[in-house]
Amino acid sequence: MGTILKEYKYTPAKIVHGYSGKSLYINLSDLRIEEKVVTEFMKEKFTGGKGFDLWYLWNAVTPETRWNSPENEIVMSVGPLGGITQYSGTGKTLVASISPLTDIPIDSNAGGYFGPLLKFSGWDAFEIQGKAEKDIIIFIDGNNGLIEIKEAEEYPEDSHVLAEQLTREYAEDEDDMVNVSVVSSGSAAKHSLMGLLNFSFYDPRRKTVRFKQAARGGLGTILRDKKIKALVVKYKGITPNLNNAADLATINKVGVKYHKQMHDLDSKQNKMRQIGTANTVMIMSQYDLLPTRNFQTGGDPEVVKIAPEVFINEWLTQGLHDGCWYGCTMACAKCADHFLLTSGPYAGERVTVDGPEYECVAGLGANLGIFDPQAILEENFYCDTYGIDLISYATTVAFIMECYEREQIGPDHTGGLELRFGNASASLELMHQMSRGEGFGKLAGLGIRKLKKIFVEEFGADADLLEDIGMEVKGLEYAEYAHKESLAQQGGFALATKGPQHDEAWLIFMDMVNKQIPTFEDKANALYYFPMFRTWFGLVGLCKLPWNDIVPSDNYKTSEPAKVPEHVQNYVDIFNAVTGEDIDKDDLILQSERVYQFQRVFSVRMGKGERKDDYPPYRSLGPVSAEEYLSRKELYDKQLRDFQGLDPEKMSLDEKIAKLRAYREDQYEQLMDAVYRRRGWTMNGIPTPERLKEIGMDLPMLLEVVEPKQ
Amino acid sequence: MKVLTHKQELCTGCLDCEVACSQTYFKTSDRTYSAIRIIENNKTYRARKCTQCGECINMCTANAIYRDRNGVVRIDKKKCVGCLGCVGYCSELVMFYADDQEVPFKCIACNVCSKACPTGALEVLVSQVKEI
Amino acid sequence: MIKVNTEDYPWHSGMTVRNLLDEKLFTFRHIIVRINGKYVPEEDYEHFTIRDGDDVIVLHLIAGG
Repeated sequence: MGTILKEYKYTPAKIVHGYSGKSLYINLSDLRIEEKVVTEFMKEKFTGGKGFDLWYLWNAVTPETRWNSPENEIVMSVGPLGGITQYSGTGKTLVASISPLTDIPIDSNAGGYFGPLLKFSGWDAFEIQGKAEKDIIIFIDGNNGLIEIKEAEEYPEDSHVLAEQLTREYAEDEDDMVNVSVVSSGSAAKHSLMGLLNFSFYDPRRKTVRFKQAARGGLGTILRDKKIKALVVKYKGITPNLNNAADLATINKVGVKYHKQMHDLDSKQNKMRQIGTANTVMIMSQYDLLPTRNFQTGGDPEVVKIAPEVFINEWLTQGLHDGCWYGCTMACAKCADHFLLTSGPYAGERVTVDGPEYECVAGLGANLGIFDPQAILEENFYCDTYGIDLISYATTVAFIMECYEREQIGPDHTGGLELRFGNASASLELMHQMSRGEGFGKLAGLGIRKLKKIFVEEFGADADLLEDIGMEVKGLEYAEYAHKESLAQQGGFALATKGPQHDEAWLIFMDMVNKQIPTFEDKANALYYFPMFRTWFGLVGLCKLPWNDIVPSDNYKTSEPAKVPEHVQNYVDIFNAVTGEDIDKDDLILQSERVYQFQRVFSVRMGKGERKDDYPPYRSLGPVSAEEYLSRKELYDKQLRDFQGLDPEKMSLDEKIAKLRAYREDQYEQLMDAVYRRRGWTMNGIPTPERLKEIGMDLPMLLEVVEPKQ
Repeated sequence: MKVLTHKQELCTGCLDCEVACSQTYFKTSDRTYSAIRIIENNKTYRARKCTQCGECINMCTANAIYRDRNGVVRIDKKKCVGCLGCVGYCSELVMFYADDQEVPFKCIACNVCSKACPTGALEVLVSQVKEI
Repeated sequence: MIKVNTEDYPWHSGMTVRNLLDEKLFTFRHIIVRINGKYVPEEDYEHFTIRDGDDVIVLHLIAGG
């Protein structure tokens, strides 16, 4: 099916010490396919993964490039450790592009088999530039050294149908299906700015195609704008040492030690094998951290209805292996099998729902005031197959619902949809509209930043209120943690380079509960170390979860238990064992900082990496409304007394809210100063030439951007 | 179901079983290649070997472990990717690996060691129970 | 009065570690308790009594999310 538009033959490069040394470039405008050499310079400065992505992206775009400019690229890379089978979480693909939501580089990552199979097909990285005229599919056959671009007008769009069809088409037989992986989006991606990428893997026990998502920042929207329906890779013959590691024995030893920890401790710790990341939903509610009704509060009595036990006992299949790449014994990719859909174009069909993950239950559940597991699973399914980032969707709809409840918008604007908290069928209908490119759903797909403008300018909403309650920074919607009472996490979100995603830092317990980082300097140190450390996973192709969703039983005896020192050492050992290098844990941070600072300068170059771009909405910092203040009255009154020397008994509620706000906004300013200093930035948030020199990143291309802004 | 059994009272700790096992499958007398390990404790000898419990079947990340017609748990070498997850996950610590081997190895109740045992301490039993 | 994670907290006679964790709603499974710098194992939570003036640290071990 589909006419072949272009065929390209190549000799798959042999992988040595984790690198194939080659990257693949495809230009869809003129159907050009080229091979590039991965240089020693790239390895030294950027390591791999997200580092390679950002390097290629920088060279492809100009400051004027926007997400839908032909020269914008989708770049993906798996990193030097990607694809090893002996440690958990080694199949992550890192993807970068200029985001339709933020206009700056976005990076997002996914499990699934695509990245490792791409590398074993001979490619350390894969750049796609230009736009096709009609819908196409790109197929990479790593065994035979063949790349095909073919017409794909006839293929369906929604991922659960498309990926299943392509997997069957490209596999020779049932046993061969595990050797095929598909990247696709869905029907809503081209109608919204929050389209995601689904990365598939075949589950031989369930005999179905499963998905992990590179969800954030609108990558699926860009994929569809380039008229790509799917990327398909096929590689048969996974063996233990395709990376040709320098020292396989060490990898084996470290891997077996880790697998044994999972076996012995997971059922006592986070139960990742039973429920995955959604294990924390009740805990988050109990600690006042579960975003509820657009981040107004941190939990709700009704949360018991969507507690982990409910999903474990009633919805999620137990006892089957649920890893998204070989060798992952954390196996957190849970799913609900034979789930009966009740709405939309697939109503009446039974499907496998991948998830729910924590962000799904928190976002599509509590944050929308929906405490119904079945509705959450249905929303989860449709977000994925339609190609919608459920975090951006959930946070956007939470904002819309609050606007509706506060009568900033009404049924006249929403086409009659009663978008009140708790209305699951309205949320589902909104999704279906997004998929069809119709009605209010199409508008919602623009994301919060653009909606604020429309609601104010066209619907007459209160601009100040919308600025306070629209949970976005830099144009990207917040991930699902309520964090008003943790100053460090306010920075963790709003100071994150690509926008408020918690993959840079999650400091809430250290800060708010443990009180381990009381001073601005302490918080700044944490906001240096953790973002740097966590960047590293994206450079080498690893998943972050195996780092700290299980910890050794003697972790508490270590001097810095939050860092999980034994696991950090595992990573150092595995990196050295694969690449043959000799790094230590400080070198690991240096590798990260090179790419971290590069990405910040890249954002500056694109016009959005300065202090003005690092401010959160007030909802992130403190109580916007009277109800929010009253929900934690005792705490807030105490803070007015203790920190500001005020007597709350003598103040009106409005005065108290205003005084608390002034205090908290000032605290945030001081935090920014401290973090900028620690990261080697000017007080305007620009990396200094001195800092770039110290870490070996005083490249002329970077200095040219930062020097005029010193 | 076939399973290898060991009678402690008959075992002299001669290790002939280990040598027989590693010689048969890996052409070496190095005991780290044996799927049965005799452990000495105060002149008594305990054998570590697979009980064919099958806990590793569902956890295998490559769907490469299965129970054969005789109830013996086996590894499909064509499917195994050498992740060693089963090695860490075996509660009995009887899934073994060697750095120069692509896949782990385990006791398949083949009778080679019991034939080599001079005292009759080892025996492959066929139990009536098909599944545990 | 005792200190819990550096902040003042009211003490009452006979208060065990378990009482304190329940009062503070510290339900997270993954915690370690140190009293005056000394580690208290989980199996002792029920009967380990906290004395007036004690410095209690309840570390929640996650920097995850």
